[in-house]
Amino acid sequence: MTKARKTTTQTPEDESGLDRRKFLKGAAAAGAATAAAMAAATKVAQAAEAKPSEPKAEANMRGNSFIARPGSDFMLDVIKTLNIDYIASNPASSFRSLHESIVNYGGNRKPEFLTCMHEESSVGMAHGYAKAAGKPMGVLCHSSVGLQHAAMAVYNAWADRVPVMMFAGNGMDANKRRPGVEWTHCVQDPAGLVRDFIKWDDQPASLQHFAESTVRAYKMAMSPPQEPVLITLDIDLQEEAIHGEKLSIPKLSLSTPPQADEKSLREAAKMLAGAQNPVIVADRCVRSQEGVDALVKLAETLQSPVICTGNRMNFPSTHYLNLSESRPGLIRNADVILMLEVQDPWGMLHGMGDPWKDIRRAAKPDVKVIQISLADFMMKSNYQDFQRFQPADLAISGDAQTSLAPLTDAIKRELSSTRAAEFAGKADGLRKRHRDMKERMKTAAALGWDASPVSTSRLSAEVWNAIRNENYCLAVSDRIAWPKRLWPTTKYTNMMGGSGAAGVGYSAPGAVGVALANRDKGILTVTLQPDGDMCYAPGVLWTAAHHKIPLLIVMYNNRGYVQEVMHLQRMAGLHRRDPKTARIGTMIYDPEVDFGKLAQAFGVYGEGPISDPNALAPALERALKIVKGGAPALVDVVCQLR
Amino acid sequence: MRIVLVFAAALCAGAAFAQDAPKGSAERGKKLFVDLACHSCHGTHGQGGGRGSEPTIPAGYPWQGFLNQLRKPRLDMPAYEEKLVSSQDVADMFAYFSSLKAAPAAKDIPQLKTF
Repeated sequence: MTKARKTTTQTPEDESGLDRRKFLKGAAAAGAATAAAMAAATKVAQAAEAKPSEPKAEANMRGNSFIARPGSDFMLDVIKTLNIDYIASNPASSFRSLHESIVNYGGNRKPEFLTCMHEESSVGMAHGYAKAAGKPMGVLCHSSVGLQHAAMAVYNAWADRVPVMMFAGNGMDANKRRPGVEWTHCVQDPAGLVRDFIKWDDQPASLQHFAESTVRAYKMAMSPPQEPVLITLDIDLQEEAIHGEKLSIPKLSLSTPPQADEKSLREAAKMLAGAQNPVIVADRCVRSQEGVDALVKLAETLQSPVICTGNRMNFPSTHYLNLSESRPGLIRNADVILMLEVQDPWGMLHGMGDPWKDIRRAAKPDVKVIQISLADFMMKSNYQDFQRFQPADLAISGDAQTSLAPLTDAIKRELSSTRAAEFAGKADGLRKRHRDMKERMKTAAALGWDASPVSTSRLSAEVWNAIRNENYCLAVSDRIAWPKRLWPTTKYTNMMGGSGAAGVGYSAPGAVGVALANRDKGILTVTLQPDGDMCYAPGVLWTAAHHKIPLLIVMYNNRGYVQEVMHLQRMAGLHRRDPKTARIGTMIYDPEVDFGKLAQAFGVYGEGPISDPNALAPALERALKIVKGGAPALVDVVCQLR
Repeated sequence: MRIVLVFAAALCAGAAFAQDAPKGSAERGKKLFVDLACHSCHGTHGQGGGRGSEPTIPAGYPWQGFLNQLRKPRLDMPAYEEKLVSSQDVADMFAYFSSLKAAPAAKDIPQLKTF
C-alpha cells in the first residue's frame, strides 16, 4: 500500500499569504476554541502546509518575548502527514513544546493527546491499538526515566511484532540544560536503553533531519516484520524558532511486504500436495481479515487442519478445519507441517519436562517442515525471543500473509484431479473431528460449573452470553484459554492475542488501546483482566474514563500470581519441604484488592467482588449497558486460580 | 488430550476404588487441598485449569491412582512424601473429592448451548 504525500517546502517568505500561527492566534482571540473552530483551524493549517510562512513582523529569536514559530510546529506537521490519530503520553518537560504544538497548533486532533499515568501504559495502549487499528499510535516519553518506565512494554510490542511510533524528549546540548533535574533526566543515547528490541532509532540534529527520520521510522515500523521504532526529540530543536531554513516533508511510500519467491513456493506446494497428513500452524501470520480469508482458501485447498497458536486470530474457530485444540494428535501424525510465521518452531515439535528438562519429541522423526517467516530479518542477539533453533526442510523467507494466495495457487497447479478428489474426500471426517473437539471442550467446561470462586470456563461462558449478539472483540485473548476454545470467532478483529513477551502489565493498557481503536469502528470490546496485571499500572482506568473509551473489563481475579504459586509448590516438593508456604510472596490476600472500588476511584463504573457464579449474568448486563453508553465498566469476579 | 491420557493411565493403575480408600474427613480434605495449593492446578472441584495443561480429577477417580499420583507422579507434578503429606491427609483429600456432586452435563447447561 502506498500513500501519496505532499512534499512541502518551508520558506521564510509567505507566498500564499496564509500564516498558520497568526490564524490560530486570531482564532483563539476570537474565542473560537471550540471543536469546530479547532477543526477549521487545523484544516486551514494543513492547507497552508503547501506554502507555509514565517511571520515577518514578529521576532523569532531567543531573548525576545515570543517564539514566532517553534520547531515543534514543524515536527507536528510531519507527524500529521503520517495519519497518526492518537499520541499517548505521560506529560514531561522534555517534550513540552511538542505537547503544546499538539494541543494548540494542531487543535488536539489527529493526533489527539491521550493522557496516561505511566509510560508502560502509553506503550501498552499503543501496542493493543496497533493490532486493532492496523496502524501505529504515537507515544511520547520523557528522555531517560520515561523511557525506562516504557521499556518492558516496548519489549512486549517487539516480541509481538507490533509497530509503535515512539518519541522521546531529550536535551542534547549540555550548554543549554537547566541545572538539576534536567541534567539528571538527559541522556547521551536515549535509545540505547531499548535498542535491543526496537527496529530502528535516530536522534535528529535538525528539523529536516527529523522529517526524514520520522517518515523513515514510520515506514520501517510498518514493513513486516512490524516493530516499534524510536525518534529522539531534542529539546532545543523543538523549542527554538524555525530560522527560515528550507524544510520539506518526504512523501511516505510504504514498502510492499516481501512475498516468498515463486520457486520456493512451488517446492512447498509439491511437498504439501503430496502429503497424506499435512498440518498448517499459524502463529503471527495474518494482520487483517484479508489474511484470514487467504488462509481459509489455502486450508480448504489442501483440506488441511489448522492449528492457531492464539497470538493472532488467523483462522475462524467456527471452520471445521480449525482443530487447534487437537494439536498433540495433529502434530504427532503429520507428515508435512507448514509453519506460518511461527515464533517457536522447535516448541511445536518438542516439549520439555520441568524441572528435569527432558525433551519429549511431539512429532514424527521424519516429519517435513516448511517455514514461511521473516524471522531471519529481525533477529538481534541479546534478547532471546527468537527461541530454540529448529532446522526446516524448506525455509522460505517471506511475509506469510502476502505469500498465502500465491502458495494456494501453486498448490492448485500441483494437484492432479485425482489428488484433489482425495483431498475433498477428507472433508467429512474433518468436520466430524471438529464437532467432536467442540463437544469435548463443552464437556470440559461443565466441570466445576457451580464452583465458587467462579470457574474460568463459567466466567468465559457467562461473558460470551452477555456479548454474543454484538460485533465483539476480546482485547486480550490469551489469559484464559476458554474463549479460544469456546467462543465462535469469524473475524480477524474478534481476538487480539496477548502481550508478546509475557511481560506482566500489558493486559490492562493493551485492552484500552484495542478498545480505543474499536470505538472508532463501532466494535464492542471486552477483556478478561487478570488482577496481578491490573495492579501494575491501574491508572489506565482513569485514562479510559477520561477519554471515554468503552471497554467491558471483567476481572479474572484469582487473587494471586498463580503461575508462581505453582512454581513455588513445585520447588518445595522437589526440595522435600513444606508446600503450604507456596502462597507467601505469590498470593494477593490480607487484604484482598477490591477492584470494583478501584475502578470507581478512577471514575470507572465498577462492581463486585462476585464469587457466586449465578450473580455474574445480571452484573454483566448492568456493566454492558454502561459500555454501550460509551464508557468503560468493570466487574470484579473472584475466580478459580486457573 | 494429554491430561485425559494421564488419568486414564492412572485409572488403570488403580486396582482399588473409593470403597477401598482409608476413611477420611471431606471437610479437612477440602481445606488441605487449598492449603497445599493443589487447587492452583486442579481447581477446587478438580475441574483442572483454564489453559488446558492442568489436569482434571474426574469423578470416580480411584483411590490407588490418587495415592500413586501424589507419591510417584507422572509427568511434571512434584511428588509429595509421607512426611509432608501424610496418608491420612491423602485420604482426607480423597474423601473430599468423593463427596463432590458430579458436574452437570454440558447439554443441560443453557449457557453452553450457545456454542
